[in-house]
Amino acid sequence: MELMTPHGGTIFWTTVTFVALLLIMWKVAWKPIIQALNERETKIRESLSAADKAKQDVEQALANQQDLIAESKKEAQQIIEKSRNSAELLKDEILQKANAEAENMLVNAKKEIELSRDKAMEDIRNLAVDLSMAATQKLIGKALDKSEHHALIQNSMKKMEDLN
Amino acid sequence: MTEHVIEHSADSLQTVQHITQTAEHAANAAEHAGGGGADFIMHHILAQPVLKLPTVFGIDLTITNHILMMWIVSALLILAFGLSFRRKNLVPKGLANALEAAVAYLRDDIIIPNMGKDGMKYAPYLLTAFFFVLLCNLLGLVPGAATATGNIGVTATLALLTLVVEQIAGIKKHGVWGNMKHLIPGGLPVFLIPIMIPVELVSMMAKHIALAIRLFANMIAGHITILAIMSLIFIFKSWLIAPAPLLIIIFCALLEILIAFIQAYVFTILSAVFIGASISDEH
Repeated sequence: MELMTPHGGTIFWTTVTFVALLLIMWKVAWKPIIQALNERETKIRESLSAADKAKQDVEQALANQQDLIAESKKEAQQIIEKSRNSAELLKDEILQKANAEAENMLVNAKKEIELSRDKAMEDIRNLAVDLSMAATQKLIGKALDKSEHHALIQNSMKKMEDLN
Repeated sequence: MTEHVIEHSADSLQTVQHITQTAEHAANAAEHAGGGGADFIMHHILAQPVLKLPTVFGIDLTITNHILMMWIVSALLILAFGLSFRRKNLVPKGLANALEAAVAYLRDDIIIPNMGKDGMKYAPYLLTAFFFVLLCNLLGLVPGAATATGNIGVTATLALLTLVVEQIAGIKKHGVWGNMKHLIPGGLPVFLIPIMIPVELVSMMAKHIALAIRLFANMIAGHITILAIMSLIFIFKSWLIAPAPLLIIIFCALLEILIAFIQAYVFTILSAVFIGASISDEH
């Protein structure tokens, strides 16, 4: 066997061996490996984009939540303001009403007092008339005309009052 | 590119001649010194018959140690890859991980840059060539084993297969006529065509011959060097001289491991470049 001369048998066996190896490796190794590599790359790419999307979603959700919180805070503030206003209003109203009622009661009471005083005065007058009439009758023994008498006493009472 | 390749092949040829001469010198010297004889180096480099088989149609089917090594390499490759990728796993472990990383490297740094996405169709050929050549180179360094890629017949066949794949790829892409047009550089004056076709043909052949010789020469060179240096011990017939050759041999052996990888890489990348050129769109 020469060093620099390709030997026919070697060429034949190399061809057979290499082609067989190529075919076997194609089926056993290269196809699954390249497929796996591609699959993994696709999966990594997908996972990355999914992660990116999830991050965006979370950020969106966070922003939404913050908006919501701010909104509800504002709303709560408004409600508080509103209730404070209405409470104020209610207070004023109640106070006013109470004041008016008190005033009313005072007026009524005054009126009543006046009325009772007038009545008492009248009663006193009548009693005085009757008493004086009875005294006069006893004194003169003769009954004066009642209406005449009444006018007489009334007059004198007035005079007394005027004197006072 | 072409000139470079031709130059390179001339270089390789020179290297081979040089190496052969060196080996012969060493062997002669060894013989003169009464050592192992001229056959000592050649015996280790040339294929040795293992199983004598008859000659069929002028082809001697004898199984040599180089052919046996190719079978061992093939068996190891099939075993390693077969066992690693028997089950589909999205996250690979151990050997499968390493093999997959190598495949991914070849795909991303050799096949796609030189051949484009279309090149992935020819990935199985290039991957097989790479791992086959690499393992042949490495197993050749094991003491007692033989280097199949140090046989010109083996490397010539591999280069021939690259040529065949290149031509099939070109025909598939451009059609028979379109593929032939690769032989005519674009913008050539018509009267130059008869001259340029043979030139281009020779350049094409030279590329592949260089591919074969480069691998062969590189693999054989280290072995011859190591064996020649080893003969020094026998020439001087002295234990005192032994440590010096031994150190040089260790250095050469380490260098050979590096060269085993480099040559597998070079063979694959050049095959990718050749096939890539035949499926490229420019003429």
